[in-house]
Amino acid sequence: MDKVLKNKKAIVIFLTPAVLVFLAIMLIPIVCAVALAFCDWNSVGSPEFVGLDNFVEMFTTDRVMLIAIRNSLFIVVFSLITQQTIGLLVAAVLSSRGMRFRNFFKNIYYLPCVISSAALALLFSFLFNPNMGINALLAEFGIQGPLWLMDISWDIPLGMWVIGGVAAWQYMGSSMMLYMAAIAGISENYYEAAEIDGASKVQSFFHITLPLIKPMAKISITMSCIGSLKFFDLIYNMTKGGPSNQTEVLASHLYNEAFGGMRFGYASAISIMIMVLCIVVSGIVNKAIRVEDF
Amino acid sequence: MKRKKATGAARIIKYIVLSVLVLIYLIPLLWVFFVSLKTNGEVMTEPWSVPEVLHWENYASAWFAGGLQRATLNSIIVCVITLVASILIGSMAAFVIGIMRWKHAGKAMNLFLFGMMVPVHCILIPLFIVFVRMHLTDSYLSMILPYTAFALPMTIYLMNGFFKSIPWEVYEAACIDGCSIYRIFFTIALLLSRGGIFVVGLMTFVGNWNELLVAMVFTDSPEVQTIPVRLTAFVSPYATDYVRMFAAIVLAMLPTILVYSMFSNRIVSGLTTGAVKG
Repeated sequence: MDKVLKNKKAIVIFLTPAVLVFLAIMLIPIVCAVALAFCDWNSVGSPEFVGLDNFVEMFTTDRVMLIAIRNSLFIVVFSLITQQTIGLLVAAVLSSRGMRFRNFFKNIYYLPCVISSAALALLFSFLFNPNMGINALLAEFGIQGPLWLMDISWDIPLGMWVIGGVAAWQYMGSSMMLYMAAIAGISENYYEAAEIDGASKVQSFFHITLPLIKPMAKISITMSCIGSLKFFDLIYNMTKGGPSNQTEVLASHLYNEAFGGMRFGYASAISIMIMVLCIVVSGIVNKAIRVEDF
Repeated sequence: MKRKKATGAARIIKYIVLSVLVLIYLIPLLWVFFVSLKTNGEVMTEPWSVPEVLHWENYASAWFAGGLQRATLNSIIVCVITLVASILIGSMAAFVIGIMRWKHAGKAMNLFLFGMMVPVHCILIPLFIVFVRMHLTDSYLSMILPYTAFALPMTIYLMNGFFKSIPWEVYEAACIDGCSIYRIFFTIALLLSRGGIFVVGLMTFVGNWNELLVAMVFTDSPEVQTIPVRLTAFVSPYATDYVRMFAAIVLAMLPTILVYSMFSNRIVSGLTTGAVKG
């Protein structure tokens, strides 16, 4: 038995393709990106080492970067609040006993998660167009709708709220699905015991459901935060970062700097920022939600 | 012991709220479907009515003029190859890590799991430079390679779990009967985890089918571009032939909606197992 499972040749054959792909496409490029982040390079000639200049520029002279950081953090917080609370509430309601049409509701809410963000973004860019879609409907009632994606009068432009709303619309279903799976794993006995003791449904929710779904909450929140930091498709297809860079996020700024401005060094520094933010945020979530092992 | 049923009013409110939410989810999708069947004039004058005459020719026009037929073919080629490659490569690695006796299995697993933390943005620039030098950009391979690499961590993680859930006696019996390790992998481990492979495959397929950033950076020509890129290039709020763009949006959304309606339960179970184990 052991002899067969310790077959060295087979181990090498089985493992080599995965390791090669992983090294070539993931690990080596990351090392390169880190190295490039400390260089100035416009794709012609050879990269020139500039130390921390790129990172200094990010936080001092690059005004768009500050907008991008603000908007990315806005999306993180906004998705966290909307997606998690709505997702959890819907999951709790759908999981309640005697619920009819559970699968129907569940499947509808999850549907947008499997649709291309690019296509959905284009759809919503028409719905929130100043003349078509929602504003045309409002006009029927004599209401002059706002400019939606083009409106930049607020501190955080209306476009960011709209895009955040679309993101919540699209991804609420995935949080709901995770919470439903977690709630399905809670033993019915707890609820029965609570009921005998005279607890109301709301009390059961706060004192049984909430504490017991903490591990899943951690996963759901981490996934939502990382997804928000990588946010690109909706922005690119709804506003392209405009008007006047007001709806730029980290990923769209990186895209413009790298493939519009050919500033590969600086763009690499932004990409490293995104990775560091992802790691830091998941670290914070991990620390903040303590899960007791029973 | 029966729990108290919610009171009538509370029940009704519950269903009303859930139904309103259903409307919020369906109206945008129905809206784009309806306007895609109108004429450009109707789109401007009455964008919210149900179309009276159905202009299916908009779809033909989007399909051919928008280059969607080529893009759909490209998406299928890229996603299928990625699917097969990532499942094959991933399960081989998962088999070594989960089933075979190898002292660095734990370290290898951690290395692959680290891949889950890496945003694709980090590898975009170095890979772009390398692909340009190797004349790999604007090819299927320029998408297949990154897609496969990024599918590997999840595939390895889930397949590892599926292989381990096969009773150990099965592996033992095969060894005693003199099965080679290759036969154990292909005819026992892979065959017995078909359900798992299906779920992992669906998730990989849907994810890559919708991927925009990598495909946009690494391709230029319609001959290799996938649906999301083609659609992004074709649809612009500043163009005027609206109905054709709406039809294109519907055509781009349709394949995953169909796949989802056929396999929704398995996609959902895949999503939750992935997260619970991750």
